[in-house]
Amino acid sequence: MFGLIKTWKALSARGIMGINRRNADYVLKYNKRSLYPVVDDKILTKQRAIEAGINVPDLYGIISTEHDIGKIDTIIEQHQDFVVKPAQGAGGDGILVIADRFEGRLKTVSGKIVSRSDMEYHISSILSGLYSLGGHRDRVLIEYRVIPDELFRNISYEGVPDIRIIVLMGYPVMAMLRLPTRQSGGKANLHQGAIGVGVDLATGLTLRGTWLNAKIEKHPDTAHPVDGVQLPDWDGFMRLAASCYELSGLGYIGVDMVLDKDKGPLILELNARPGLNIQIANDSGLTLRAQAVEARLAEMQAQGIVETAEERVAFSQGLFGHVSRPTATL
Amino acid sequence: MRSINLHLKILIAVLVLLGASITAYQIFGLGIPITQDETDELWSIDAKVTFTATPHVPVKVQLFVPPLTQGYVSLNESFVSNNYGVNVSRVEGNRQLTWSARRAKGDQTLYYRLVMTKRFGSDKPREEKGAITRDPIVLPEGPERLAAEALVAPIRQHSADVETFISEAIRRVNNVNDDNVKLLLNGDTSTSKRAQIVDLLVSLARVPLEKVHTLRLAAHIQQNPELWLRSYNGKDWIYFNPETGERGLPSDRMIWWSGDGQLLTLDGGRKANVTFTLDSSQMNAIRLAQLTNSSVETAFMDYSLYGLPLQTQQTYQTMIMIPLGVLVILVLRNLIGLQTLGTFTPVLIALAFRETGLQWGIGLFTVITAMGLSLRSYLEHLRLQMLPRLSVVLTFVVVMIAAISLFSHKLGLESGLSVALFPMVILTMTIERLSITWEERGANHALKVAIGTLFAGSLAYLLMKIPQLVYFVFTFPAVLLILVGFMLAMGRYRGYRLTELVRFKALLKED
Repeated sequence: MFGLIKTWKALSARGIMGINRRNADYVLKYNKRSLYPVVDDKILTKQRAIEAGINVPDLYGIISTEHDIGKIDTIIEQHQDFVVKPAQGAGGDGILVIADRFEGRLKTVSGKIVSRSDMEYHISSILSGLYSLGGHRDRVLIEYRVIPDELFRNISYEGVPDIRIIVLMGYPVMAMLRLPTRQSGGKANLHQGAIGVGVDLATGLTLRGTWLNAKIEKHPDTAHPVDGVQLPDWDGFMRLAASCYELSGLGYIGVDMVLDKDKGPLILELNARPGLNIQIANDSGLTLRAQAVEARLAEMQAQGIVETAEERVAFSQGLFGHVSRPTATL
Repeated sequence: MRSINLHLKILIAVLVLLGASITAYQIFGLGIPITQDETDELWSIDAKVTFTATPHVPVKVQLFVPPLTQGYVSLNESFVSNNYGVNVSRVEGNRQLTWSARRAKGDQTLYYRLVMTKRFGSDKPREEKGAITRDPIVLPEGPERLAAEALVAPIRQHSADVETFISEAIRRVNNVNDDNVKLLLNGDTSTSKRAQIVDLLVSLARVPLEKVHTLRLAAHIQQNPELWLRSYNGKDWIYFNPETGERGLPSDRMIWWSGDGQLLTLDGGRKANVTFTLDSSQMNAIRLAQLTNSSVETAFMDYSLYGLPLQTQQTYQTMIMIPLGVLVILVLRNLIGLQTLGTFTPVLIALAFRETGLQWGIGLFTVITAMGLSLRSYLEHLRLQMLPRLSVVLTFVVVMIAAISLFSHKLGLESGLSVALFPMVILTMTIERLSITWEERGANHALKVAIGTLFAGSLAYLLMKIPQLVYFVFTFPAVLLILVGFMLAMGRYRGYRLTELVRFKALLKED
């Protein structure tokens, strides 16, 4: 009992955010329920992003009814590889990645052959809501297959590593690189066993990571150290994430991005209830950073200034980055 | 944000205050008991008077009815008579009911019905006082007088005080082989005659004695008023059994009337007869209090849940406990951080446990869910759409439940039958969600969630069935307002969950 109180106080002093605080002070306060569909439905997110001129993986086609399943042939005709996704899926479930063709059949990343009937069944399950939140009917999204940058070859197992940046009212607060492992089955989802690696907001250098709630330094499958990796075009990622506030209207989001070999940073999806393990990955608490942003917001509001995405990124990098830089905005 | 916080605080304060003050008023103002006493017995006594009226003659029927001074309280008294005038008068500590009619024809039936209960412990009314002494009954010179005097002498010798004197007198008179007694009885060995002789003997010692006629509070037996004797010792009435001389009136006897008067007197009729029918029913103490309290408070009680029909009350006794079950889930999830399947599934499971009991419930839940999961994983290979698959699982669950009921019945296990009401839709959905969790998050997580759900359900069930708590919440529903206050406060609780302290422990480790 006494130990628990001590732990509580220590966590609280470090500004570690708990689920209750995240829900009460951030998710409920900054995220309007009516805007949820924009982030819950990947098709809507993608459409909004395209309108705003933000980079996303190309959309090849949408299947909304059982009747349309036949359309799959014309959609994938011209593409050697592609991804089939449920529009309202969560946690990377129901995603089928086709990497290649093999004598007219489809082949997944891991080399498994997918027959046409397998594909139809998969699409039908998605439509019936198997993977959607709440189990209601869903749509199927067929899009460009992201090919991860060579950079990640040493620190990732199958799948596509992604970068999650938590953005509060347009200010990036914390960032994490998520690396699939053998345990996570190639999915970049921490709950399923992927690794989260903290990222310095200012420089884009990776820090140490978290795996299953513990701190780690090396990738369990490749045994390469996960820290000290320089992510390319980091400011691009930061600007992309910051601009998602205007895109979605939601004040507290996790922006999931990937680094494509050819196309650079792309937005995959937005999350209105981003997880808290990012704190372990960064060895830092969210509460203090969020409060600093809130103070900045109040200050800007008092002066009647609305900051642009670039200004917000600069502010965050100045305050939360490990490397101190001369700051123009502070 | 601050205005919302203030708003919330005021709302919580108002709700808690309101709930607490209503409950306090109920407890202290209305005196409603905090715990459920044993149920009290409610007696319904019918006295049926039948006679044949003599034509063209006014009819007057007089019947003694209980004075209700002893420790009973009347809840309802009714006089059922067609065209008779009814009048109740007090005569020497008795109550006498008079039915009268100018003319009546043929067989007549009149009813007197009394619904009464034992008075609540504290407020016993003061009993009427009796005489302490009296003049002896003077017999004319003759053998009877001699016999009486011959009897009194040894009684006097064998007794120490008034009470033992009366007991001894009764004992002697009941010895019918005694020549003196034989002479006095004069061949009539009825109880009333013997009582009369006792009265005579006792009067010779100037000791007062009174006959009381009692009814035994026992349902469904044929009975006539039973005769007892009593004497006043200056403080209390002491009762004697006229057959044995035993002291003390059994608690199931109720005094109907006292003295020498006849139970029924009839003018203008013949073949008069009185039969008694007694019936008892159990009644909740609180309902009794409500019935006996004819004051202002009744209006309040009318609007409490006790104003509902009994059947509906039982439903509400279950329903009103649901918020408490929900509270358990709330605490477990938001304070402890326990993971459960869905939000309120544990509450539904807790409700299901009400039918089966805890051990059986957990056993069945586990067995059926495990079998359902294996079926579901088999169905997975068949690639069915969601709705047909759910329907198959549901049907399977129903068949499983039926089979378990049948087997347990054959094995003579009663509790297996209660399963029938175990909500199968809940089970089906549990199986479906559990299997999805299994696929998405792995067996470990699914098991953790399933155990969490069962644990939360069991805890909610155990809390929801504590009888004292059920009574309390049902009687004082205003405590739900306090509960809502707590829930509102929980709605803005920002602290850590217990499991988070473990989850984030890594952050506190020095490298």
